[in-house]
Amino acid sequence: MKTKALALVGGLMAATALAAAPAKADVKIGLLGGVSGPIAAMAPAMIDAAQLAFAQVNEQGGILAGEKLVGVVGDSACSPQGGTDAATKAVNIEGVVAVVGPHCSGAVLAAAGSVTVPAGIAMVTPSGTSPEISGLDDKDTVFRTVPSDDYQGRALARTLKEQGYAKVAVAYLNNDYGTGLANAFKAEFEAQGGEVAGFAAHEADKASYRSNLADLSSGGADTLVIFDYGDGTGLTILRQALENGFFEKFVGGDGMKSDALFKELGSDNLTTFVASSPVGEKSDALDVFNEAFKAAGGDPDAIFVNTSYDAAFLLALAVEKAGGDKAGVAAALREVSNGEGEAILPGEWAKAKALIAEGKAIDYKGAAGDHNFDANGDVPGTYALFKIEGDAFTVVSEMK
Amino acid sequence: MELAGLLNYALFMGIFIGIYALLALGLNIQWGFAGLFNAGIAGFFAVGAYTSAIVTTAAAEGRIGGFDMPLLLGWLAAMVAAGLIAWPIGKICLRFRSDYLAIATIGVAEIIRLVVKSEPELTNGARGITAIPRPFGDLDYALSQMAYLAIVAVVLLVAYLMVERQFNAPWGRMMRAIRDNELAARAMGKAIERRRLEAFIFGAALMGLGGALFAHFNRSITPEAIDPMVATFLVWIMLILGGSGNNRGAILGTAVVWIIWSMSEIATDQLPSEYAVKAKYIRLFLIGLMLQLVLRFRPDGLLPEPLRGAARSDQDAR
Repeated sequence: MKTKALALVGGLMAATALAAAPAKADVKIGLLGGVSGPIAAMAPAMIDAAQLAFAQVNEQGGILAGEKLVGVVGDSACSPQGGTDAATKAVNIEGVVAVVGPHCSGAVLAAAGSVTVPAGIAMVTPSGTSPEISGLDDKDTVFRTVPSDDYQGRALARTLKEQGYAKVAVAYLNNDYGTGLANAFKAEFEAQGGEVAGFAAHEADKASYRSNLADLSSGGADTLVIFDYGDGTGLTILRQALENGFFEKFVGGDGMKSDALFKELGSDNLTTFVASSPVGEKSDALDVFNEAFKAAGGDPDAIFVNTSYDAAFLLALAVEKAGGDKAGVAAALREVSNGEGEAILPGEWAKAKALIAEGKAIDYKGAAGDHNFDANGDVPGTYALFKIEGDAFTVVSEMK
Repeated sequence: MELAGLLNYALFMGIFIGIYALLALGLNIQWGFAGLFNAGIAGFFAVGAYTSAIVTTAAAEGRIGGFDMPLLLGWLAAMVAAGLIAWPIGKICLRFRSDYLAIATIGVAEIIRLVVKSEPELTNGARGITAIPRPFGDLDYALSQMAYLAIVAVVLLVAYLMVERQFNAPWGRMMRAIRDNELAARAMGKAIERRRLEAFIFGAALMGLGGALFAHFNRSITPEAIDPMVATFLVWIMLILGGSGNNRGAILGTAVVWIIWSMSEIATDQLPSEYAVKAKYIRLFLIGLMLQLVLRFRPDGLLPEPLRGAARSDQDAR
């Protein structure tokens, strides 16, 4: 009996060890994502978008001396345990030159703290929005292509105040996304002289939020600001608030900009709803990406696909710029997207490669923004306020 | 794949196995020796991780602490805090029989998780605590991992020796007597409630220590780390697979489960890239299959509980 079980264990381990035989001289970039776990529904599209960037690189002559650029997918499971495990394997076993991801902030913090920062590997997360990532002691190796929640919250607060909203209540999902947005929003809205008359976190996926809503409305606010996801709990809250007439006006963060709203609730009922959402800089970059991703069979409206693509493409550019030197990727990342030099749009790999070879400066204009990283490796992001007209979101105003 | 990379990966696995082995040892005290079905490991793990983080980080705005204390104090505080939290819980819940206790402890762990997420003044809420100092963290990547592995190994060895000694002492015999025949033990005048509480608190303290080691290794702790899946049920699988009631089994089970979990991803990565995403789920399947096989062919785990006393001489006589 004992030998049988031991043989089984041994066999499994031998199989995994054999399978890990060294691969050819491809250039590898890690794609760490929450494949299993709470964001399993979002992760595949994000990984596909990053793979699209690598496919374009390979179609247009490959990286460095014509080598193939390969994305190594790792499952960070949206937890620190999974994130560090996946990052360790990507860095040490696969020998990646840089990492896209992980997707969830907790995994980003842990993987950066115990793996990529000590190993000196550049990391770009397309969806880790926690403000804590800005303050990491990261030796300038951790970047992101998605703005910190802090930034969006503050921008939304300023815009609402300008538009004449004076007294609001805030309902936010109790995770790093909701909490980060809500706290930043509250601080800025109050600093601008607005009044936050209700401020409460809620847990996801409950059947009823009527008591939460009744509490929030008791402060006398006529506007409800919701930081949640429009295809999840946020929809439930909005529906119950409308049904019971708790509030007159509604505002959402980028997570609330979901087609599920007018599909489920009807656009007639949502005339007083506005949502903030990141928009591509005024350039064709976003259209170029959308078309390419659609052609590759992806849904360009899925959340965080454009930031994932940008992270992957930026890292490819940086690796090319650094000449394949792992230690130089982080520094090169700043050089390929600092607002100076010839503009490079998504997919323009051959052009960028030629310019880098000539030693000219390039500036990547991404699908999700210009990505001119600040000192913390953060991007400011561009936001606009959207309203629902017919069955579509239309821009009300830019957000500053 | 270079040798240095393999070494780093091995060091990393060693550290993780060491940390989870502490959790499994703690659970072994509770389940393996006292028969207490604790399904709230994540809660004590969280208390330990956050306590040590608060005690050892530099002062921060918006939350309690940090107190910038030495590391050892943080780890001690983690054990004490986890034990202190376990005391009232045990006092109330240990009167329940096995499955009711499981339900109660799941609830407690969930309460702790929600408190951690919802009290920014205490734990910085959903954002978590960062910039937690890591001993020898300024060294090179490989060296710093080696140093940390050495620390974890020493802690685990000390914990193992102490627990092992305790089990072979009269206290351990008494615990097994209570577990196997509560009425008989009561008839002999053993204070059953008190003894159970002791086992519960000792186990919880070890889990707290595991949490502290985890937080310092990652230099951060966020509520995502105390998900019941990765912090409770994974530990249960490790203990059951390794052999509950056997300390070496607990450590072996941890190593086997973690190695399969981690290394199977390398194997699935060899599949064609269109399966890259789907293949990740094979790992979950493998762990499940492993558990099924072990339960079918070795219901007592890879290293079953050693026979002692009368049962042992019976077998020797046969």
